Amino acid sequence: MPLPLPYFLVLGALMFAVGAWGALSRSNAVRVLMSIELMLNAVNINLVAFNRYLTPSELTGQIFSIFVITIAAAEAALGLAIVLMIARRRGAIDINKINTLRG
Amino acid sequence: MSLQVVAFAVLAALILYGSYKVVASPLITHSALFLALVLVSVAGVFLMLDAVFLAVVQVLVYAGAVMAVIIFAIMLSEQREIGGDPSAQRMGFGEELRRALRSRHWGLLPAAAAALLAVLAIAGIGRLAAPAAPGAASTSVADVGRALLTDYLVPFEIASAVLLAAVIGAIVLTAREGSDARDGGRS
Repeated sequence: MPLPLPYFLVLGALMFAVGAWGALSRSNAVRVLMSIELMLNAVNINLVAFNRYLTPSELTGQIFSIFVITIAAAEAALGLAIVLMIARRRGAIDINKINTLRG
Repeated sequence: MSLQVVAFAVLAALILYGSYKVVASPLITHSALFLALVLVSVAGVFLMLDAVFLAVVQVLVYAGAVMAVIIFAIMLSEQREIGGDPSAQRMGFGEELRRALRSRHWGLLPAAAAALLAVLAIAGIGRLAAPAAPGAASTSVADVGRALLTDYLVPFEIASAVLLAAVIGAIVLTAREGSDARDGGRS
């Protein structure tokens, strides 16, 4: 007998909340990016769970998750490249100190 | 308790503990390793949901490629948090949580907002009409491939262009200025 759907949704909600906390409260840019990956993974769990339980004969949720993973990989490559560039130029990647564009 | 409940409980515990450690671990290298644990556990959850192809992609792309990029970024950016402060090595769970909740800018606000979000989401789930339990999965890897190359062909090709652009952008961003690849190591 399969598990009820809310199990997966609660797991996704908690994981997303932890990721949101990390993305908002950490000052290390790499850690913020890792927290964003956590949030994206929580969303993927939700998408696949809804797909499996509500439209088991279609693949919409899984395909959407594949695209989320693709964009997340692109985001990680670009984000970490930017982090490296900032670390090389300024010697630190504390996002509270990156305020050159502040008005 | 059925085997499925036990498997789900183990995976959920690994995911939530790992997520917490990603955010709160004092050493950023530990954060990266716990992130790998979380990503592999999420692949396990995908397996429980009969998304075989997605589980494989999760391990290959996330636990493989993205983790390698993250660890390279940590090692190349020479952060203080790699060594960490020695007093952080031995602290207990309570002290670690207290430090994680302490931040110079509005301290507890992000944690409170995230907790509120989680409570709201879970309260909403309670009101959800539980759908009928699904039967056996009627989709396979072949179906995923067919859908990607027929119904979703245009997004699929656009995604490949986006990935190419991102990779070129990452190379351009990290190339050292005023030098090409041949003398990059000497500058």
